[in-house]
Amino acid sequence: MIRVAALDEFDPQFLKGLCKHLYTAFGVGAELTDPVRTPSGMAEPFDAEKLLEAVPAVRAFQDDKVLYLTRARLKDRVLGTGTVPTHGHCRYGRDRALVTTFGVKDLEAGLPVVSRHALHAVGHLWDLYHCLDPRCAMYPPWTPSFARGEPTFCTFCREKSERKIALAKS
Amino acid sequence: MADPAAQPPFAVNDRVVYPNLGVCRVTGVDTLVIAGQQAVFVTLKRETDGSVVRVPQNKLATTGVRRLAGKSEVAEVYRFLASESDKATLDWKQRARTNTERMALGGLLGLAEVVKGLQVLSELRPLPTKERELYDTARVLLVGELAASLGCTACDAEDTVDVALSPPGRERPRRTVEEFQRSAGNEDALGDDLLGMEGDLDGLPTDEPPPEDEEEAPAAPEKPAARGKAKSAAPVRRPVLSDDEVTMTMARAVALPPEPKKRGRPPGKKNAAAAAPSEPKKRGRPPGKKSGAAEKKAAAPAKKPAAKKAKPKGGKA
Repeated sequence: MIRVAALDEFDPQFLKGLCKHLYTAFGVGAELTDPVRTPSGMAEPFDAEKLLEAVPAVRAFQDDKVLYLTRARLKDRVLGTGTVPTHGHCRYGRDRALVTTFGVKDLEAGLPVVSRHALHAVGHLWDLYHCLDPRCAMYPPWTPSFARGEPTFCTFCREKSERKIALAKS
Repeated sequence: MADPAAQPPFAVNDRVVYPNLGVCRVTGVDTLVIAGQQAVFVTLKRETDGSVVRVPQNKLATTGVRRLAGKSEVAEVYRFLASESDKATLDWKQRARTNTERMALGGLLGLAEVVKGLQVLSELRPLPTKERELYDTARVLLVGELAASLGCTACDAEDTVDVALSPPGRERPRRTVEEFQRSAGNEDALGDDLLGMEGDLDGLPTDEPPPEDEEEAPAAPEKPAARGKAKSAAPVRRPVLSDDEVTMTMARAVALPPEPKKRGRPPGKKNAAAAAPSEPKKRGRPPGKKSGAAEKKAAAPAKKPAAKKAKPKGGKA
């Protein structure tokens, strides 16, 4: 089960559409939980990793995945080989991921883009790594073609996620 | 890479890398008696899923178990990933062999070579299933070791690899077969010409005897009948001549000019029957005796229609 927790206010139709995309991509249930507040004492732009650590837990079963959704800007990450824009963050193979809608002006029109980022982040939770196929949601998110794609997986990533989900306990 | 045999022995809580398994933690070094023999075993626990493997201490080096990569090795991997390296070979068999070796050796640079080679190849054409799986495995192992070495999250480690491979804001390039072939050509500049003689092998001395010169045989005088025989029979064994005969033959060949070569088919025996003019062929069936039954059959079709017509009329009346 994927649980979507909003850190800010969102249109219910948008959240419903996002859950629908998650359900279609992974084949497991996706539902909204009660809204969660952003931890105090943190200033924008947020450090995605720290925000993910500090955000309060959501009531969930073991092996459930929790996706936190925020409107806030996330800080670009400086890595050993360059700087990358941050659209989300996650703990690989664990239970929680974070995605931002910052930069998407019209959420209704931008639902596929946000869904694609959400799929990418939740995919990492099920041990999916970056993909070679530009049409796949696991393609590196900072490439220009990422925003133009559909919120779907390639065959390889889809099958791999299905295997991982089948092994899950709940 | 440092010589694994020269490494100090592993201690408990050390983090090591087991080839094709990934980052493990040493949980114990125990002496066990197995089949009456005493041996020291190192117990490794895989960090991702907690599976346990025991390796004899004297086989750690041959198995390829090694310590985590240091910062210098990581920097070398980043340089390699960002560089414009040579392309993978287009020969799938050779590629599979090379990649399997790199994975089995377990070095960080080897993993990076597999990832980069297959990624560049995917820019030419989609990877087949087996290579896609190999790519995924290599990527998982590479990211896991980088994250463990640098002490960062796997998310950052993977993004580091991908930023090196394709910087932000840029699309991955499309490759052509020519690029790969050119790269393969640069690898071995000599190519097939390993001796560097540009195909000029005529001047080389050879131990083999020169082949029997068959073209000279027709130049020698020969009878038309003999020519006809030579055509039909493939291997003709030459008669052994004495020294005098050889001398005589040679002398005749020198003194007398060879007969001019006759063109066309050799004259053969003509058949006497074929020579006589044949009678003109008659068309149609050959004349033969007709039997009595055949005569009746031939006459029957003329009588039948009349008999058929008469039957129904006669019945009703």
